Amino acid sequence: MKHFKYLLASLLLLSSSLAAAASLQLQLQSDTANPAHPTMGDWMHFNSVITNTGQQPIEGLVAWISLVEVTPGKEQPMDLEDWSAHKAVTGTTLQPGAVLQTQWPMRLIQSGDYRVVISATDRNNKTVFTSPTLQFHVAQKPVVESARILPVALGIPLLIGGLLGVQKVRRWHKTG
Amino acid sequence: MNAFTLIAKKERRALLQNQRGLAWLLAYTGILSAFALLLISNRELSLLDNAQVVYMMAGTVTAAGALIAVIMGADAYAGERERGTLVPLLTAPISTGELLMGKAAGLASAWGIMYLLAIPYLWAVGAGGQNLGQAIFYLGLFGTPVVLGFGYLAMALSARSGSVMYSLMTSLIVLLFSASPLLIGPGLRNSAIGKVLDAVNPFSGALNTYDAVIIDSDPLMSQLGRLALVLIWLGLMFAVARLSARRPVFR
Amino acid sequence: MLIDANHLALTLDGNTILKDVSLHMKKGDIYGLLGPNGAGKSTTIALLLGLYSPDKGQLQRFSEQDTDIVAIRQRIGVMPEFAGFYEWMSAREYLVWYAGFYGGLQAQPDSLLERVGLSRTGSKPIVQFSRGMKQRLALARSLVHAPELLILDEPTNGLDPRGRREIHDLLIELAKKEQVCILLCTHLLDDVERLCTRVGIIDDGRTVLEDDLEHLLRDSGKPRYRLHMTDTPEGHPLPPLVRLLERDDAWWTLEIDLHRGMTIGKIWEDLLNHGWSFDEIHIESNTLEARYLELTGTKKPVQQEKAA
Repeated sequence: MKHFKYLLASLLLLSSSLAAAASLQLQLQSDTANPAHPTMGDWMHFNSVITNTGQQPIEGLVAWISLVEVTPGKEQPMDLEDWSAHKAVTGTTLQPGAVLQTQWPMRLIQSGDYRVVISATDRNNKTVFTSPTLQFHVAQKPVVESARILPVALGIPLLIGGLLGVQKVRRWHKTG
Repeated sequence: MNAFTLIAKKERRALLQNQRGLAWLLAYTGILSAFALLLISNRELSLLDNAQVVYMMAGTVTAAGALIAVIMGADAYAGERERGTLVPLLTAPISTGELLMGKAAGLASAWGIMYLLAIPYLWAVGAGGQNLGQAIFYLGLFGTPVVLGFGYLAMALSARSGSVMYSLMTSLIVLLFSASPLLIGPGLRNSAIGKVLDAVNPFSGALNTYDAVIIDSDPLMSQLGRLALVLIWLGLMFAVARLSARRPVFR
Repeated sequence: MLIDANHLALTLDGNTILKDVSLHMKKGDIYGLLGPNGAGKSTTIALLLGLYSPDKGQLQRFSEQDTDIVAIRQRIGVMPEFAGFYEWMSAREYLVWYAGFYGGLQAQPDSLLERVGLSRTGSKPIVQFSRGMKQRLALARSLVHAPELLILDEPTNGLDPRGRREIHDLLIELAKKEQVCILLCTHLLDDVERLCTRVGIIDDGRTVLEDDLEHLLRDSGKPRYRLHMTDTPEGHPLPPLVRLLERDDAWWTLEIDLHRGMTIGKIWEDLLNHGWSFDEIHIESNTLEARYLELTGTKKPVQQEKAA
């Protein structure tokens, strides 16, 4: 009898967790308009689809975007402060079978290799569901502006400094 | 050559042929160069929109222009008095109006040179972005009355007080007060007092216009109120300077 | 009359600087304007130049019809007390620039510089000028337009004795050969005695004296003597024709009125008979200085002692 109780409890636990594991399904795709070779400063958009695959409605759904740098030697989670203003979706209720589509815009602030993932949970679930990750490389921005800025930023003060020097020499010649 | 032209020419020469004048211009271009170099060396700044950068550059040029105007204006009468060169001017056959306009022309020349020097900087940071042409135009249209107005204010104080220190300090305080709304946060600026200050402050008027035109691409018609503000500022300060310059302190 | 100023009064910032100043100059005058510090000399000059307007009185420069101060200044050259220049300019550049206010230089700048003793300095930046050189340059500045009236405030400041003499000679030449009228504001009474034809003395905002120098010195005509007294009898006044001007211990300065036919010998005899005795007598000349001091209250004549 005791064994039977334990077996029943295990089956119930398994079924409930199986039910929970199956309740949210996340998909993540890179937007078709994203640049093929993203560079620093570019915008990228990621489209997620969150589906309630369970029998019960999902209440208090929270979904959020995470970014991790995986550049060799620089692996770290990224603070999305400058990357994205749209970091989470909150308070949504998802009926069984319903789908939540969300677009996640992101500005590429730094060069390197990155993985992005969408995570989700709800008020009743202790499990965090994640989407498949997407990996992308952000190229270093070629500093094209330096070709314009450097000559001006260095040249103009040099020109005025030169004028100052010419003045001094002229004055010296005048007075002998 | 009339008196106005003689004085204006002397002021211009003092700026361009005098070591001190060239040193001021060097400092001014140094500030703009430092800002421009920051843009390519600092990652965060390098990612700013071109329009945002051009707006910031235009604001910096206007502020520097107002500062130079205050310095030149404070020296216009009081500096000459302290160096003993005011009495020869006052006893020459020059009207007080000609003397004032000659000094103002010198100030305008200085601003003109600063404006021209700013154009390559604006091009360097803003080419390829939006509204560069408008930025250059509005910097001239709004920056000029703001800068000259501060110059006239400083000249009025200079004539009335006969002290460079007093007129410079007082003008700088007014300039800082004008610039202060830009230093406080948007929350405070949106308060009742902040809005009133913004509405009557010529410096804010110019910068808000740059924001509206360069970043938001607003048309000129939407800025007529601010244009009126800066022109009223210029007219008022000119009147004050004219009144003060009739009997400048010379002893 | 080149300048006709009568009973001018001026109050500035609540202070009455001038109370009653009169000044009259005619063509050919070299006018010496004298007065203690703070008497109102510089303010009077400022009035003449139109830098202030008098509260009271009448002021006419050149002629009644000339009321435009800018036009009047065309005819006046001014050398202020403190010579200031744009020191980044050369002397020549500065003179040419300044002359532009008067329609251009009347002579070559270098010849003008030579005239004031600044030969071969035309291309020198003024920053390298000594104080005396700047003083000379200031004089040159006042002459750029060949003025009819020259107003000079302490023109020989900072000059050595030779320099002073050179400036004196130049001023005399300007007055005699070029008919320039000169108003000289100075503390140096020697300069006034040497140069001026007319003198005005201002004290405490009022003109206390204005006269031709010749008359002034002639009319101060009572002889003065300085005696070293060895005995001064108590209770005996000085004889009626003798006035005590100053007493410095045993040294007495006496003014003697000889117009009533008295001789100086009789005066000494009179003094001796009354018990006065002295062992030294010095004759003092009637100088402008004495008159100036008398009029400006610096050393007023001492009252005669009465009998005890």
